[in-house]
Amino acid sequence: MKLDIIRQRPFWWLISSLFIVASLIGMVISWQQLGAPLRPGLDFAGGTRIQIVRDCAQADCTAPIDSADVRALLAQQGLETGVIQVAGDDGQSVSIRTRNLDVDEESTLRSALASTFGPLDNQSTQIDSVGPVIGQQLFASGLIALIVAFAGIVIYLSVRFQLDYALLAIVALLHDVVITMGLFAWLGLLLQVEVNSLFIVALLTIVGFSVNDTVVIYDRIRENIKLHPERHINDLVDDGVNQTLTRSINTSLTTVLPLIAIVLFGGETLKFFALALITGFLAGAYSSIFVASTLLAWWRVQSGQAIAGLPEAGQPVEETP
Amino acid sequence: MGKQRLLLAMIFGLAIAAIVLISATPTRLGLDLRGGTQLTLQVETTEKIPTLTETDLEAVQRVISDRVNELGVSETSVQILGQNQLLVQLPGVSDPEQAQRVLGETAQLEFRSQRPETNQQFQIENQILQQHQLELLTLQQAAETGNQSLLNATTADPDNTPVPAELEQQIQSVQTAIRESNRAIRELFAPAALTGERLTDAYAQPRQGGNQWEVVLDFDAAGGNQFAELSRNVAGTGRSLGIFLDNRLISAPTVDVRYAETGITGGAVISGNFDAEGASDLAIQLRGGALPLPVAVVETRTVGPTLGQDSIRRSLYAAIVGLVLVLIFMAVYYRLPGVLADIALVVYALLTFAAFNAFGVTLTLPGIAGFILSIGMAVDANVLIFERTREELRSGKTLYRSVESGFYRAFSSILDSNVTTLIACAALFWFGAGLVKGFALTLAIGVVISLFTAVTCSRTLLFVSLGLPQFRKPELFCPGLSTTAPSNS
Repeated sequence: MKLDIIRQRPFWWLISSLFIVASLIGMVISWQQLGAPLRPGLDFAGGTRIQIVRDCAQADCTAPIDSADVRALLAQQGLETGVIQVAGDDGQSVSIRTRNLDVDEESTLRSALASTFGPLDNQSTQIDSVGPVIGQQLFASGLIALIVAFAGIVIYLSVRFQLDYALLAIVALLHDVVITMGLFAWLGLLLQVEVNSLFIVALLTIVGFSVNDTVVIYDRIRENIKLHPERHINDLVDDGVNQTLTRSINTSLTTVLPLIAIVLFGGETLKFFALALITGFLAGAYSSIFVASTLLAWWRVQSGQAIAGLPEAGQPVEETP
Repeated sequence: MGKQRLLLAMIFGLAIAAIVLISATPTRLGLDLRGGTQLTLQVETTEKIPTLTETDLEAVQRVISDRVNELGVSETSVQILGQNQLLVQLPGVSDPEQAQRVLGETAQLEFRSQRPETNQQFQIENQILQQHQLELLTLQQAAETGNQSLLNATTADPDNTPVPAELEQQIQSVQTAIRESNRAIRELFAPAALTGERLTDAYAQPRQGGNQWEVVLDFDAAGGNQFAELSRNVAGTGRSLGIFLDNRLISAPTVDVRYAETGITGGAVISGNFDAEGASDLAIQLRGGALPLPVAVVETRTVGPTLGQDSIRRSLYAAIVGLVLVLIFMAVYYRLPGVLADIALVVYALLTFAAFNAFGVTLTLPGIAGFILSIGMAVDANVLIFERTREELRSGKTLYRSVESGFYRAFSSILDSNVTTLIACAALFWFGAGLVKGFALTLAIGVVISLFTAVTCSRTLLFVSLGLPQFRKPELFCPGLSTTAPSNS
């Protein structure tokens, strides 16, 4: 299999553009409906989430918990805006999300739940309560981490390669990040999937990993340029991509396989984390093969470095007539 | 060749050492896996104290630690977080209500004089209290040395649970006893005559002549008068001046008879049997009690122990299935080198897990995800090397040369790609909070160890097997190689 990557460039760019536009549309709609590009989870929005499980050794577990009953109970407590999800084996577990409750409100709610649906299994209770201060803090620290990671990668690649490699690698990275965010914007709109601090972790991991792919391909292109400074950049890029193609596919495969295992077997928290990673890694593999490489060729032609000589040695670029 | 064999022996030695380490040391589990409550407390500033200093925060931390100790939970921790926050971890607590109430209060420091004719009683009660406190310390140490690992408890034999419920119960009952005797002692003292608000500073200083230490108390003007009055009352009577922090007696000095006329004026000094540590500890307690800083619970996260065990089981399945899938893929696609890379990968998993234990990494759910993810990433280096080896083979080089240059030429890609991942990890580690840090740390440890196993380990294994004639066949490295004749042996 040999890909004519440069000749098919419009096609590959079109696919990427479509995905990016779809992602941006999702985020814009989400912004209009929810006031944020993605549906913010407890970590960022603040609030209290209580998850209880009925203790079937003592309680009557013949029927699943009815979310209407839970809603009525919340209304009694003056918490009409809560989000209710019945889950678990045979619907014996319910997760309730409300505004941030203080200690008294929380314990009143819990005892009301226990007396209506109980007895409850205290060993399986999960309570998360995040104040608004913490929410902002988590969001800000995540954003800073993302920016610092981008900056660090640009600096490293500029030192190891050249500035244009580094900047184009970042373009490819943004592509992956935007597409992953877009998927979750749509998931948030359609399936009420929320993002929490683990999502920022996923984005950072995608950044670290997907730049890997790009680096490997750029490394090969650089090697090819060194070996054949007389050849046109388009041919060298074509060769470089094809030489590393199997590796790019196989590495993505070995990384995605364990993640699929997490999606299948992991708990609720890790599932969407793994899904975000899978999306980002696949987008990353695509952008490294089809976007980062062709961008480099395009840029070098545009800037008159199509036939390079040895630019990395700091020598003046040969102008071809 | 001799060098390769030596390396091989070293790698297997390491692997065995890792297995021994894993089975001998417990894995530290985060609260999201073992169950428990984590609270973030924010120390708020007031009009009187508009900015927080580090010493202020330390003093509050000390007060909070005292309260946490009274909750009767073992292996708790109270850490300072940033400029104005404290992170409190309470393993095993699935009902955080009490903790939230107790920890969210402003500290209360009181000076009280002992009631007349209670000296004997006080002595007895105080002795009982100290005995209990000693007992508690021993029990808590026992609980910590028998540091339990839920991972062992759920996966290995069930007898292997070193902190039995018994011990927990003993701790609980001693705590109750301590509360009882604190209450009994409180009754021997008159109501508060002076509160911590009047205390402007407390610090430890060495006593003149001798290596003992003392604690100095400074009061504001009104406090000074009140203290003089208070000390005059008890001076020379043998009765103590009780200092209570959050209703617990933290010090009970007596006042010398020479102050019977005027009381102690212009600041007081508590001298007793203090060493430097004891004196500064009391000073910190006093300072913490004197700070009228409100503490707000801004975040609580509680995970029931059953849920934690469920998470461990699920992650274990995911890790095993993920590992097996990668092993199969490598062996099928890359044949002999793939099998060798598989061995290196197993060594990788062992070493990484051992490193977690050795460095005392606290394993959290995202941490486990980072570990599982790193399994897939660890073989990346091998994929790069083997692809390069195949290329060299196809271009007609000999097997040995191909393998050699496969390693050599892939190295720059491997280095660059791992460094960029480490950059992302570093960013996460420095700026991330709690759980995020755990993920970054496990991923980073994984990346570094994978550099060793995927490069050094698999290289050694490959060259050792190239030394064996039955493995020296190019088709074991690259199927469908056009230059080799099909062999049907």
